[in-house]
Order: sequence, then C-alpha cells, then structure tokens
Amino acid sequence: MAKSQDKPELIINGKRTDGRAPEDLRPIKIESGLLKNAAGSAYIEWGNNRILAGVYGPREALPKHTSDPEKAVIKCRYQMAPFSSLEEHGRTGPNRRAIEISKVTKEVFENVIIRENFPGSEISIFVEVLQSDGGTRAAGITAAAVALAGSGIPMTDIPYAVSIGKIGEHIVIDLNKLEDNYSDADVPIAFSPRLGKIVLLQMDGNMTKEEVSKALVMAKDAGAIISKLQTDALKAPYLKISEKYKDEAPSDPQQK
Amino acid sequence: MQRIVVPGERLEDKPLRIDEAFIDDGKTYSTIMSMYDDEKKVLVPLEGLWYPRAGDSVVGVIQEDKFNVLIVDLDSPYRGLIFAKDTNEDLVAGDIIEATVKELDKTKTVILGRPRKLAGGKILYVKPSKVGRILGKGNSMIKQLSAETQTYIVVGMNGLIWMRGGKIDLCTEAVIMIQQEAHTSGLTNRVKSLLEMGKQ
Repeated sequence: MAKSQDKPELIINGKRTDGRAPEDLRPIKIESGLLKNAAGSAYIEWGNNRILAGVYGPREALPKHTSDPEKAVIKCRYQMAPFSSLEEHGRTGPNRRAIEISKVTKEVFENVIIRENFPGSEISIFVEVLQSDGGTRAAGITAAAVALAGSGIPMTDIPYAVSIGKIGEHIVIDLNKLEDNYSDADVPIAFSPRLGKIVLLQMDGNMTKEEVSKALVMAKDAGAIISKLQTDALKAPYLKISEKYKDEAPSDPQQK
Repeated sequence: MQRIVVPGERLEDKPLRIDEAFIDDGKTYSTIMSMYDDEKKVLVPLEGLWYPRAGDSVVGVIQEDKFNVLIVDLDSPYRGLIFAKDTNEDLVAGDIIEATVKELDKTKTVILGRPRKLAGGKILYVKPSKVGRILGKGNSMIKQLSAETQTYIVVGMNGLIWMRGGKIDLCTEAVIMIQQEAHTSGLTNRVKSLLEMGKQ
C-alpha cells in the first residue's frame, strides 16, 4: 500500500475513479474449457484483469515424498506474466508475493475438493495473470474454481473471491489497482457459497469490526452475481451443443 | 426432466444415496458437473474421473518391464502392475495391452490380471465419464461402430480406446462425436447417419 501525502481523491460525489458506486463490481466475463491439454481450464476477464487458470490431475504426486497416503495433495502456482503490469514481475520465477498467493489459493481449494478420493495423488492448479489491475488473487481464485469444476474433480462447492476495502469513510468492494494502492484497507476474501463459509481472509490496513460486517454483506451480495457467472460459464459449452440438436426427436433408446 | 448440475448444487431436499453425490445436513448435493434426472434420481457425469474397481477392463501402455513385474501407464493417478507369473506373453516397454483389474492394494496400486497384447493400431484418449455412452446400452453403440467400419475396437474403462484396421478414421470421428454430444438426445441416429455417409 503506497501511502503518500498527496493521496488522490478516490471517491467524488459517491462515484469511484472508474464511475462505479461503492457496491458495484467491475464487468466480469468467464469462459470455461479453453485448453485442450488441461483437465480443466478457465479464462476470466475481470475489469482490466486477464487471467488464465489451468488444472491438471489427479496424477501421480512427484516428487514422491510430497504425496500423502491419506488424501490428494494440491499444488498451486500463481504467476504474473512479465508483461502483466507496469512493475517487474515473474522474470526470475516466483517472488515472495507470488509464493504467498499460491499458498493461500491452495488453502482455499483444500476446503472444497474431496481429497480423500485420490490418496497419494496430486492436483496441480496454475493461475497465470496476463494483465493485472488489482484484485488478481480474487479473480485467480474465481477462475481456478471454474477450471476445477470443469475438470471433473469432485468438489463440495465452487468458491469465489472478491476484495473488500475502505476508502476514507466509504466501504467499497472490488478495488482496482489505484484504489488498492491508496485505500485505507484492502481485504481479499473468498467464500464457499453453499455454506456461506469464509475460506480466505487477508487484511492489509485497518477496519473496525462494524466496517468488516458491513463489507461482508456487500461481498455476499456481489458473490451471488459472481457465482451465477461461474455456473453459467461451466454450463455454456454443454448448452451450446444441446441447443444445436434440441429440435431433434428424442428417439434415442439409449438416452437415460 | 434432466438438468445440468454443478458441484455443490442441491439435488434433493432429503438424504439419498446417489453415485457422485454427497449428503450434508440431510440434503443431497452433487460433487461434479453432471446431468441430473429428477425422476430416476440418477447423476450422469458430464465430467468425471475413473475410479479403479476390481473387474474393470482397461487399456494401458507398458511403461517399464522389470524382472518380475510390468508397470503399466493407465492415464490415471495410479500405476498398473502385472506380475510376471500372471502372463505367458513376452511383453516389453511400449507395448499396448488390454487387461482386467484384479485387485487394488492398500496404496491403490492397480493389480492387473489376464493381460493381452494389442499389436499395431492406435490409441485414442477420451474422457472416462463418456465411456459408458461410447459403449452404449448392452454395448450396442460400440458393436454398431465396429460392424459398420470393420474396425477392431477395445474400450478401456480408464478412457483409453484402442483401434485397428477398417475405416479407422471414420471410427475415430464417430467416437469423438459421441464424446462431445454424449448429453444430447437423438445421438444414435446421428452416429448412424455419420457412418452411412462415411461408407459412401
């Protein structure tokens, strides 16, 4: 968080720098199943963020000592492409920030994947940020969840993530890069919507208990929209094929 | 009425024992992308993985040939093993085989029995969740494919399909079509017309 004396005014007349109201999300577009070699994949456009997520496995856990005889292990790599932002990223492999985000992403999915079904194996999740504009870990988790669901790996839920924050007196959600840098607090948060459980919560800055409660309500409202987009993205490739043949008589004796 | 469900989507408000579903707080939820039939209460997977079970017939490629054991790649997290005492055939690394799952050991290594070498031909990788549709009810679909194209086909439950001879390209095209359109109705008729068109 860049704190400076000449902090820009981020909210004027209740509108944010990109014209959104405090409770508005940026436009989101999700596509599922783009990569043929991966078990599951997803591409997300979240505002100016462009993120590609791929899932491989379950496959034999290598090196062997990383495997767990009771359940599958999840390995995650979050990486920003060297050309993804104005700053230096990813030229010399994962940096401290990338390692941290990989770890928290992995822990999000440890909560929802039924790992006991595949003892001794590994599931690899790759999140590649092609273009970044704040909130990439949230967008990455949202995309990776779609990729996982599309891969056939059994899960109890499809999690989503969104960031909440505070700019001056205002509680806002889905912060962009500029707001992220000059805000008073930035809290990426991931939900498991079926149970309403929080599976990721990190806080940068300060917020009071009341402010967090208020922000959580906003995040859950926005989450309903994100969840819907995830589900639609997963169903779209199948509905496209069904639509093509919907007029045909269901004369198929094999159809269950 | 069939509908597409996603992981975590509620299927029933009561606890029901359904394959690939789980029960939480007295309600039944799906764990994978699938078609759910509200009347028959069955989940037909759209995306899914192969869980080895004793009795499954599989197709694999021999990875390593050791003194008393052969290690088989089954395109799954677990390796297949064939003990030398279970086979009289001279199998070496790179051979394609058809075998039956005899048992699973504690670490889920798949012990295979009755291996048979499949010489020549080619392997097609499909989604394990679509194997049932490729076989068809009472193996009707695969019998039809085999008869129409004169191709010798062996289907492994693990999602590997081996084919040799006949109109192999037409057969491959048909299998890929079945895989892509497995969830639609009227598929048998479309496969039939594809095969008839290919014949001419």
